[in-house]
Amino acid sequence: MNRDYATYALRRVLQAIVVILLAYVFTFVVISVLPGDPVSAVLNNPQNAFTQDQIRDIIAYYGLDQPVYVQLWESLSRFVTGDLGLSLRTHLPVSRMIGEVLPSTLALAAAALAVALVLALAIALGTRYLPRRYGQGVLRAFPSLFLSMPNFVIGLVLIQVFAFQLGLFRVIDSEGSWATFFAAVALGIPVSAQVAEVLVANLDHESRQDYAFLARSRGLGKTRLFLRHLLKPSALPVVTVLALVVGELLGGAVITEQIFGRTGIGSLVQRSVTAQDLPVLQAVVSLAAVAFVVVNLLADLVYPLLDPRVRLLPERRRAEVAA
Amino acid sequence: MQTPRVRPPGRITRLIAGLAAVVVLAACAPGTANTGSGSGQPKPGGDITFLIDSLGDTWIPNNSSISSFQGHIWGHVTDKLVYVDDKGAVSPWIAERWEQNADATEFTLHLKQGVTFSDGTPLDAAAVLANLDIWAKGDTARGINPIGLFPKTYDHAQVVDPATVKVFFRAPTLGFIPTLGYHGSILISPKTLALPADQQADLSNDIGSGPFVVASWKEGDSVVLKKRADYNWGPPALGHQGPAYLDSITYKLVAEPSVRTAAVQSGQADVAYNPSPQELASFKAQGFTTATPRYLGFVNGYAINTKVAPFDDIRVRQALQHGINRDEIISTVYTPDWLPAKSFIQSNVPGVTDHSADFAYDEATANRLLDEAGWVRGADGVRAKDGKQLALTLFPNPYLATSKSIDELVAQQLGRIGFKVTLQAFDVVTYSSRVDKPGNPNVPAYEITRSFIDAGTVAGVLTDANKGENWFGLGQSDPELVRLGAAVAGAKTVADRDAALDQLQGHVLRQGYFVPLTQIVQRIYLQSPKLQGVTYNGIAYASYYTAWLG
Repeated sequence: MNRDYATYALRRVLQAIVVILLAYVFTFVVISVLPGDPVSAVLNNPQNAFTQDQIRDIIAYYGLDQPVYVQLWESLSRFVTGDLGLSLRTHLPVSRMIGEVLPSTLALAAAALAVALVLALAIALGTRYLPRRYGQGVLRAFPSLFLSMPNFVIGLVLIQVFAFQLGLFRVIDSEGSWATFFAAVALGIPVSAQVAEVLVANLDHESRQDYAFLARSRGLGKTRLFLRHLLKPSALPVVTVLALVVGELLGGAVITEQIFGRTGIGSLVQRSVTAQDLPVLQAVVSLAAVAFVVVNLLADLVYPLLDPRVRLLPERRRAEVAA
Repeated sequence: MQTPRVRPPGRITRLIAGLAAVVVLAACAPGTANTGSGSGQPKPGGDITFLIDSLGDTWIPNNSSISSFQGHIWGHVTDKLVYVDDKGAVSPWIAERWEQNADATEFTLHLKQGVTFSDGTPLDAAAVLANLDIWAKGDTARGINPIGLFPKTYDHAQVVDPATVKVFFRAPTLGFIPTLGYHGSILISPKTLALPADQQADLSNDIGSGPFVVASWKEGDSVVLKKRADYNWGPPALGHQGPAYLDSITYKLVAEPSVRTAAVQSGQADVAYNPSPQELASFKAQGFTTATPRYLGFVNGYAINTKVAPFDDIRVRQALQHGINRDEIISTVYTPDWLPAKSFIQSNVPGVTDHSADFAYDEATANRLLDEAGWVRGADGVRAKDGKQLALTLFPNPYLATSKSIDELVAQQLGRIGFKVTLQAFDVVTYSSRVDKPGNPNVPAYEITRSFIDAGTVAGVLTDANKGENWFGLGQSDPELVRLGAAVAGAKTVADRDAALDQLQGHVLRQGYFVPLTQIVQRIYLQSPKLQGVTYNGIAYASYYTAWLG
């Protein structure tokens, strides 16, 4: 098993490296194909009124007059040594720019994930234990309700009510704990919908299984049945969903950060895309690739712990089993 | 592993969700406005928050000083040699007085003594020399841009004594002194100017001599400025000396316009930048202060490329001018705070005269001109000649938020006189490569939004004489335009230049080279009524040096 794990882990790490390099090159190619670059955009701002000679000199300073493959090679050779280069937009080191905003995004994503899980669990519990006359059916409609609410609408409503009407937090103190909490709610609600849908559907499925009937007939209480027997198998697909929503948390963060005036990877990407700031975008895409690969790896490693039927088999034995 | 079964949301559920969202939004209409009034007497102390839609890109001083966003911070952290007010009047600041020779090719600046940068370096003749050189030439080998509108005739400067600098030009440059009050001409410590570009890009390293210093900053998030206690060299024109009244100014990026304005309405912030023009009347009615200062520069309008058919025909260009109803633009897209254009230069620029009769809205004249030019209306109302439709593509200027709405309205108006107008809207980056510059052969009508301090700038853009920008694609084929441009650029006295400038405006407009729309307001402010004493300079930036909280 240990040797299998080692081979498995090594293969996954190699895959990850290939994925990251491909993401890096792909971003470069896609952005290079687009017309324009941030340096010329600034130079061509009509307010600047530069002469053609001045523009040519400055473009040459950034190496943007070089053929694309030369630029790619230079960028790639820096990247493999861990140098992310300078932003074409701000002229600051890319590593510093990402380092400044990453903690804020991680805090927001973690808080949003917690909100999503708590909400999803509450909905799932409610659909089991809330008596029908108190709105069990309504609760079942919540996931689709949440999914149909865009997170910028949720964000704006939360800000209106809790910041401007109730004065619970100040928009300008966007990193404060209440501000972070409400940003996490805005970001977490649509995510909770996906988790809740899967959880509710699986709870329904599991509770109809023979073992659940058996447990109930043996007089097992509702809570014990839920915690001991139903939750664990129902949570299994949730792990897969969680690995997938990491992308959504990062993507949703772009809008949530903008609405709540937070700085973070999302808002950095938004500014960089607008300016076609290639070095920053390459670094962020690579970082996202790393995050995605790591999270999915973790999900795969958690699986066997939740479900004893899942085993890591070497390819040879897997082939035998399949046969 | 089993596939989770997920029920698709039903139609009823979606309906409920939609209704719920509408009800919640309706219940959350902005609350009552804070209408506190000030005492009328300046008093020290207090902190303000300015919500801004962007904090721009790099902070390398030369590369960022003309940014519509970063200019706010530079205006408080740095000083300039002269002050230019919203009427274009030039008055002393760090330069206490100045002289020039009869040809306007040599200028002597006498500097105020005892002025220091916040790093302790004296703001003396050597520091001014270092700044003049970097504004004029930049340092492209280090990634430092020059200041685009700095006179290209600059030759060199020399230190006469610690309080005197002499500046030499290769040709008469009457615009030099006013340009020292331009938002690009910010005085930066020589220690900062000596740093490599990536260190200048860190705002904490950028040292000025202004009434505020940078206390902290975070890229794309905020800049916090703190008052400099020993500041004592503000522009005398502002009527205030000594340090600023306010203790601090926080510039905070809030990209969402409704959040910016609601934050000011709820008292959480003091100023919101760039609210939508259509909302201004309602803010005023609620007791808030709004400001729509006009900068000195070109009006908003189209520079017509005369090399692109059918705009090589003067009658078609003139029809464009007469086919546009500027009052309708102001009443539809803007508010009465905006003014129609009277020339192709803003009316507050010294020396600018009223030429509105040359391009007044008159559909009958526009139709007659197009008839005379042989453009015949078809059944669909679109004119055609030799099988070709009278078509015009407009490229809304992404640097101006209202540009697309204006172009849509212009498209309707020109449709009435038989034009078929299409719009192609691009983001800033795509625009800069596809539309590029005035005179681009693919762009018949280039939308201008540009500030400048001195009318001398005008001569440098109209033709390609002296590496000019050649806005109308004419090169030097119009001898009258070349002659008048040279007369404006080379004038040795203001009286000579004003006379030439009046003729130049008349010529450009009568030839239909430029189609003016409205006078431009690029910076709009919504402000708490508690904040008082704010001033706006010639480039329409708000200064809080003289401001206080009532």
